[in-house]
Amino acid sequence: MSLIFDNYLLLAIAAPLALALAIALGLPKRWSVRLSYIAFAIPLLIALHCWWRFADAGQRDGYAFLATYHTGLGGLGIGLKLGLNGISLPLFVLAGVVGFAAGLYAIQSQAERLKIYLMLLLIMQGGLMGVFASVDIFFFYFFHELALIPTFIMVGVWGGRDRNYAAMKLTIYLTAGAMISLLGLIALYVKSGAHTFDFVALRAYLAAHPLAETVQGNIAGLLLLGLGILVSLWPMHTWAPLGYGAAPSSAAMLHAGVLKKFGLYGLVQIALPLLPAGLVHWSHPLAWFAVIGNVLIVGLITMAQRDLKQMIGYSSVMHMGYAFLGIAAGGIIGPGGVVLLMVAHGLSVALLFLLATAVHHRTHTFAMDEMGGLAQKAPVLAAFFVAATFASIGLPGFANFWGELAIFVALWKFSPVITALAVAGVVISAIYGLRAAARVFFGPSTAHFDGVAARHPPVDLRWSEKIPALVLLAVLFFIGFWPKSVTVPLDAALAPVPLVAAK
Amino acid sequence: MPQHAVLVLVLPLISAAVIALFLRRAGAVAATVSVLAATAIATIAVILALHGERFERSFEWLRLGGFSVSLGIKFDDLAALMLCVVGVVGLCIHVFSLGYMRDDAARARYFGGLSIFMFSMIGIVLADNLFMMFIFWELVGFSSYVLIGHWHEKQSASDAAKKAFIANRVGDFGFLLGIVMCYWSNGTVNLTALGSQHVYSTLIPLLLFCGAVGKSAQLPLQVWLPDAMEGPTPVSALIHAATMVAAGVYMLCRIHVLMVPEALNVIMWTGTVTALYAALCAITQNDIKKVLAYSTLSQLGYMVAAFGLGSLPQLDERGRMVAMAAGVGAAMFHLTTHACFKALLFLGSGSVIHGCHHEQDIFKMGGLAKRMPLTFVTFTIGVAAIIGLPFLAGFFSKDAILFLAFANNKAVFAVLAFTAVLTALYMIRLWKLTFLGTARSDHAAHAHEGGLTLTSPLVVLAAFSILAGYTGIYPKVFSGVFELIPEAHGSAHTIIFATSLAVLVIGVATGYLLYASGPADSLAQKSPGLFGGLVALKNSFDVAYNYYVAKIQQRFAMLLNFLEQIFLAGLIIRGLAGVVGLFGLGARALHTGNLNAYVYWFLFGVVVLWGFATGALAF
Repeated sequence: MSLIFDNYLLLAIAAPLALALAIALGLPKRWSVRLSYIAFAIPLLIALHCWWRFADAGQRDGYAFLATYHTGLGGLGIGLKLGLNGISLPLFVLAGVVGFAAGLYAIQSQAERLKIYLMLLLIMQGGLMGVFASVDIFFFYFFHELALIPTFIMVGVWGGRDRNYAAMKLTIYLTAGAMISLLGLIALYVKSGAHTFDFVALRAYLAAHPLAETVQGNIAGLLLLGLGILVSLWPMHTWAPLGYGAAPSSAAMLHAGVLKKFGLYGLVQIALPLLPAGLVHWSHPLAWFAVIGNVLIVGLITMAQRDLKQMIGYSSVMHMGYAFLGIAAGGIIGPGGVVLLMVAHGLSVALLFLLATAVHHRTHTFAMDEMGGLAQKAPVLAAFFVAATFASIGLPGFANFWGELAIFVALWKFSPVITALAVAGVVISAIYGLRAAARVFFGPSTAHFDGVAARHPPVDLRWSEKIPALVLLAVLFFIGFWPKSVTVPLDAALAPVPLVAAK
Repeated sequence: MPQHAVLVLVLPLISAAVIALFLRRAGAVAATVSVLAATAIATIAVILALHGERFERSFEWLRLGGFSVSLGIKFDDLAALMLCVVGVVGLCIHVFSLGYMRDDAARARYFGGLSIFMFSMIGIVLADNLFMMFIFWELVGFSSYVLIGHWHEKQSASDAAKKAFIANRVGDFGFLLGIVMCYWSNGTVNLTALGSQHVYSTLIPLLLFCGAVGKSAQLPLQVWLPDAMEGPTPVSALIHAATMVAAGVYMLCRIHVLMVPEALNVIMWTGTVTALYAALCAITQNDIKKVLAYSTLSQLGYMVAAFGLGSLPQLDERGRMVAMAAGVGAAMFHLTTHACFKALLFLGSGSVIHGCHHEQDIFKMGGLAKRMPLTFVTFTIGVAAIIGLPFLAGFFSKDAILFLAFANNKAVFAVLAFTAVLTALYMIRLWKLTFLGTARSDHAAHAHEGGLTLTSPLVVLAAFSILAGYTGIYPKVFSGVFELIPEAHGSAHTIIFATSLAVLVIGVATGYLLYASGPADSLAQKSPGLFGGLVALKNSFDVAYNYYVAKIQQRFAMLLNFLEQIFLAGLIIRGLAGVVGLFGLGARALHTGNLNAYVYWFLFGVVVLWGFATGALAF
């Protein structure tokens, strides 16, 4: 048993990957589907267990559940070192929860070539668990690539309208973003002179030998550009609504919900402690891009959307603006708010993509003008959608509120003007969120929808849709009501940041 | 005792959760659960208040670095009074809902919504800090959204719910900025801590006031409240008349220590103008609920103006002149009496609407006095209370405000006195057209009184509407609020009393003589110019906002979207795509379209890369 207990994190990564490998080697479909339940459940259970046990688990170098594996890459300063700190723990849980929901939804989705679809999703899931469990920066990046490639394939093969263009654009942007970030990470490796990708060693080394401010600024600039593309910083965001509009729902859930957070996570976990002066150097331009571009411009563009999935995609871009603002604000409150918002947004956007697909199954369209009055036919679906909408626009009681609040509080110290502009976004998001809910669900039904409803009488939310939705909603509520479950370890993990900054 | 306060807060949340999770299809059970919760809340609220113990408790809810939010209870006399108002009026309305919503298909959702509302409202009442108040502030907005949009298949209800939430968010924009600014300026948002020490700032109270402008529907954000009448009538009574809209006034009273003269001046004039504007609008309405909605706006304007009028000099026990927060006393006093008589009036209108088979046009009513005698009597008491008939509740609280205005600002006094004339005018109009004369429609001719659940709350609230104005009957436990009520003495007393009487007589006489029991509006017939002007005044805000939303905001959004699609998505990126397309040509050879092939190529690539990296493969 101790073999399992000591290797929890590895198991969470390996379980989905092992099944993916088995499927690739020709596992029969029946078994592929059955075992998929287990392969998606294992990361979830391990993530929840780690969350539960985190306070009691012994910590070394600020990390709990630490384990190192020999890879044969030691000569390059690379080792598979897994562990969780207060920053990665909430995201690890996020990956487990959203992965489970997306997996369940995919298993029940009756997608064509289900086996391969599940295989790709499992690879993605394994990669995601790996991203947030890695203490080694090389593996942090490697697992991201592992999760990213299936996304391209899933969009290109199982995607909806414009899938070829969307897959192409997604690939170009995200590959470019990943390459630039890699350049940044390699520069960090080279310039630090520590000859290690191990984050703990790197941090200790840089605390003793801080990088010069210009070097920090250059590397931080590279990272902000590369990771900014991955997180859809304006104006490098146009891949996101297009890609999510075309992506199959489970892929959109996992990418928008979890994988996209890689960039922000990298900034909070790696760049903030290692390159504090570098980020401060860029903080003002970053904040202005985020508030004018992501929050206000993209917010208004979201209002103009007629396609439900595009609307959700744009709203997700807008909310990433808040996350960048939190990073620009710095300190402990800002990045703390970013982590809270990342988790909350990941859950709520995954839920929205899931429900949008559920809406599509009933209305046979994503065009909001052709919907209306669905609440009369599917009241439970309407209730879930309204809850998800209110979560995403930051209603207290849901996790999102805490993230936004902490970011606004931190931002005031940074710049009251930017804070006022950012808070104005809260009104914008209420407008498009409630407008969408009203157009899809309320009022009398449209002629188009009546026609569809006559041919395919809509049913309310099925259990196969309800269970993943409930899982996501439950975690949103849980963090919303008890934010300390995230902030206690988070606060502890962010606290040493100023110590490293001192030089 | 603190555990009882926690219980009062948690009970309705449990009720809402149980209904949402298990009782969706069991409307009757859901109604019972919700009403039982409301009964328990009212009982505990009264016990808590009478017990007299006042306390503060809080625990930390979240901490990040130096920033912490706590969940706490500040139970002082102000909170005790407000809790009693919410509990008792809430209970009456829950009971009324039992009858009114008996045949509704989505009864469970309705009662679940009421429970969420009670939870959120009690949270505002008990909150010991501004962040917590903001949290519950947003939640009452959410419950209001759910309940206004209860009949969501109606486009108008769906629109009204959306409008209410968005208008409130506009107000909350300022509120939240105010709270954050207050936090950094003072290092705390705890109400008690702010009371002992805070920096002098005009901006902070004004930003915080924005929240009250939204929630209490003051100009220029008043537009959502008349539309909110799309909700079921008991909801209008509870949320949009008695309690939630008064939360803005309550919040101001909570933070009155932060006030400075410049901010008070703005607040006073906002309230005064709202009171007058809404009273003018009320004259033109022919929907029974809309008249009451504008009346609510007007009365909220009174409360806000009263708060803004500020303090009065007073001799303390050692004979020194000190400032007494008379604005808080007058505003809270009027809030309390208004909650009683406005809830009564709304429930009375609900009884009328129920009796007339959902007819809401007062020109299609008439003669209901004979057919619905109990509703008639109680409604008449409500009308008498709101127009300030001597010795009923509204008389005392309105006099307190008029006196304060008389003492502090004569211009405001004149406007508020004129508003009182209008109040008497439109209420008498409503009362006469609804209850007197002869029935002007089949529905009105066959109107009938509702069952016990509909009538008993009317009787209880009518009793409160008579008694609530006698400060002497309140137990001493509320003295922290009631000793702040300004009282006129000597010549000032005579002037105020004479003004009140004159205002009342003029308003009632004009209303009674002007309006004939007919199918059309007498004012519109006799003076179409004046009537048209008032209608235009009423519509002006909606016209302006609709123009802004449709012609400016939406068009700007469309323009940005257009630019986004053309420039960013189209030109720039397609240019880049062209370059990459060259690489794509080469890659196409490997692009077989076979999915397995992709996957095997990918796995192959990983293995080869690993091989190179570890040195297992060599060139």
